[in-house]
Amino acid sequence: MAGWDGLISGFAVALDPSVLIYCVLGVVLGTVIGVLPGIGAMAAISLLLPITFYISPEAALVMLGGVYYGAQYGGAVASILLRLPGTPQSAVTTLDGYPMAQQGRAGVALFASMVASFAGSLIGIVALVWLSGWLAGAATKFGAADYAAMMVLGLVAASTIGSKRPAKAFAMVILGLILGCVGTDVNSGVARLTFGRAELFDGINLVALAMGLFGVAEVIGNIRTAERNGVPERVRLRQLIPTRQDLRRMRLPVLRGGALGCFFGALPGTGSTISSFLSYAAERRVARDPSRFGQGAIEGVAGPEAANNAAAITAFVPTLTLGIPGDPIMALMLGALVIHGIQPGPMMLEAHPGMFWGLVVSFGIGNLLLLILNLPLIGIWVSLLRIPFRWLYPAIIVFVCLGVYSVRGSTFDIAAVAVIGAAGYLLALARFNPALLLLGFVLGPLIETNLRRAMLISRGDPMVFLERPISAVFVVATVLLILTSLLGVWRRARSAAPAAEASDRTG
Amino acid sequence: MQRDYHDLWGGAVLAATGAAVALYCLGNYDFGSLRQMGPGFFPVVLGVILTLLGVLIALPAWFRAGKAAPFAALDALAVLAAIAVFAFGLGRLGLILSTAGATLIASLAAPRPGWLWRVVLTVVVTALTWLIFKQGLQMTVPLWPGI
Repeated sequence: MAGWDGLISGFAVALDPSVLIYCVLGVVLGTVIGVLPGIGAMAAISLLLPITFYISPEAALVMLGGVYYGAQYGGAVASILLRLPGTPQSAVTTLDGYPMAQQGRAGVALFASMVASFAGSLIGIVALVWLSGWLAGAATKFGAADYAAMMVLGLVAASTIGSKRPAKAFAMVILGLILGCVGTDVNSGVARLTFGRAELFDGINLVALAMGLFGVAEVIGNIRTAERNGVPERVRLRQLIPTRQDLRRMRLPVLRGGALGCFFGALPGTGSTISSFLSYAAERRVARDPSRFGQGAIEGVAGPEAANNAAAITAFVPTLTLGIPGDPIMALMLGALVIHGIQPGPMMLEAHPGMFWGLVVSFGIGNLLLLILNLPLIGIWVSLLRIPFRWLYPAIIVFVCLGVYSVRGSTFDIAAVAVIGAAGYLLALARFNPALLLLGFVLGPLIETNLRRAMLISRGDPMVFLERPISAVFVVATVLLILTSLLGVWRRARSAAPAAEASDRTG
Repeated sequence: MQRDYHDLWGGAVLAATGAAVALYCLGNYDFGSLRQMGPGFFPVVLGVILTLLGVLIALPAWFRAGKAAPFAALDALAVLAAIAVFAFGLGRLGLILSTAGATLIASLAAPRPGWLWRVVLTVVVTALTWLIFKQGLQMTVPLWPGI
């Protein structure tokens, strides 16, 4: 059986000492970044991108993956102890995790989040293996029109699902697509929107864009807020031990959360933040006594934590098998792979089986490491929360600059980070989502290439998108998504209008 | 009434950006046809969509109340100035001076007063940078101003 042979070859890759070291480095760094409020997984991965140019693509992907799911473990720590989510994915964990901590059950909440994260990852790994094989087979039937339609669906889904202002979200995607146009046009060789700067002929540097939008903009936005957190109490190992009732209550939420996470992680455009919110909503709905939620219900910690870790694993499915990143973090990973000369897609399972299976095995190893390292080391992570942000951020700024410089030795790129960082801060201030900009930026050239190819093949007949069954499904789904989000906006506007009038009168 | 200025300005800037991109690309690059799209096709279409979205964001904001988020202008200025100093200093002043300058300038944004901790931080970060990037990663970059 191919899967079995694959797994064995995967062990050979993942247990290679050089890959193993980067796996450990990735998960430890991910946890640290997740624990520290003020720097997210996006910023961490952008910071690490330059390092990946110096190591093998396998080790690079394993390390970046480790940062991604490691941050989910760490994110829960600050959520539970300080009600300050370390990562957006763990925002839900504050709802019941923090009340548990106030009741003196912080240890149990941390235990629940770590065990649930581990279980969720295992569920995600099984789904990853199963779905990838299936999708890679299906993807060989995809034509250019199908790819273009699917990427458009992904972008529309990312900007409409779970977004209150779909127009603002979609505007970010479009802005990203435009920035993706900068550089030499592959088909004609024309330098587009470069304004004669030779530094822009290859396009805007992905690392500079990611670091400006996430590293710099996040630091500016957090200098004041991240300083204000309290100091957490010490957590002792003995406090981690859950009661039998806790364990019984965790079981089903973990399974449900894991399943939800697998599904939404693999869909284009959704991802781990939405999965954890949905899992929380689901647990409250099936609970016999929903009023316990928000008061320290262990189900509200276990379910979402399992969901976001499962989603973090299955998010690799569309990225690796179709070459289409479902969320911005995956877009960065895709960027890292492309820089190494590896084009993810249907052929990747066949062309680079060692890489694929090595990654799968490393997910298992990394998550096991996180579990056995983090439970005893919880005291260290808690003490990390005592470092004031003012000691960290100047160093982050310097590392951002040197990281960008190291990619191709260009000080133009450092200056670009300043410009992008300023724009990113303004965008975040006006509540535009810069993550969607990055997703558009990475997908832009892919969409354009496939769109042009599809229209060339069909001799300029746009009906090709409806005639091909695969692409027709994506087009219909895209239209449905846009319609439902328009309906949602219209409904909100109607129900908000009387409220706004009332507040006008009083204010 | 306090209008929703974030969306008003954000939408307006995006609409202006979209229009500028569409017009610039229409004027400078071949648009082509549906069958054989030129290099201008994709950016022009995107620019038009962005213009429409910008208007769609800005218009309702005029009629809607909104709360202004605090704008940390000085924080932004310190951080961006630190990066700029680093970008322009690295080739001319070398790694040590530009790192120290950038760290010190960035630390100005921190809400805690006092100079001692800033100097300590600057020394620590500069030493760490030298250790990691010059000694550890063997980065080829001048350490001191050009000899």
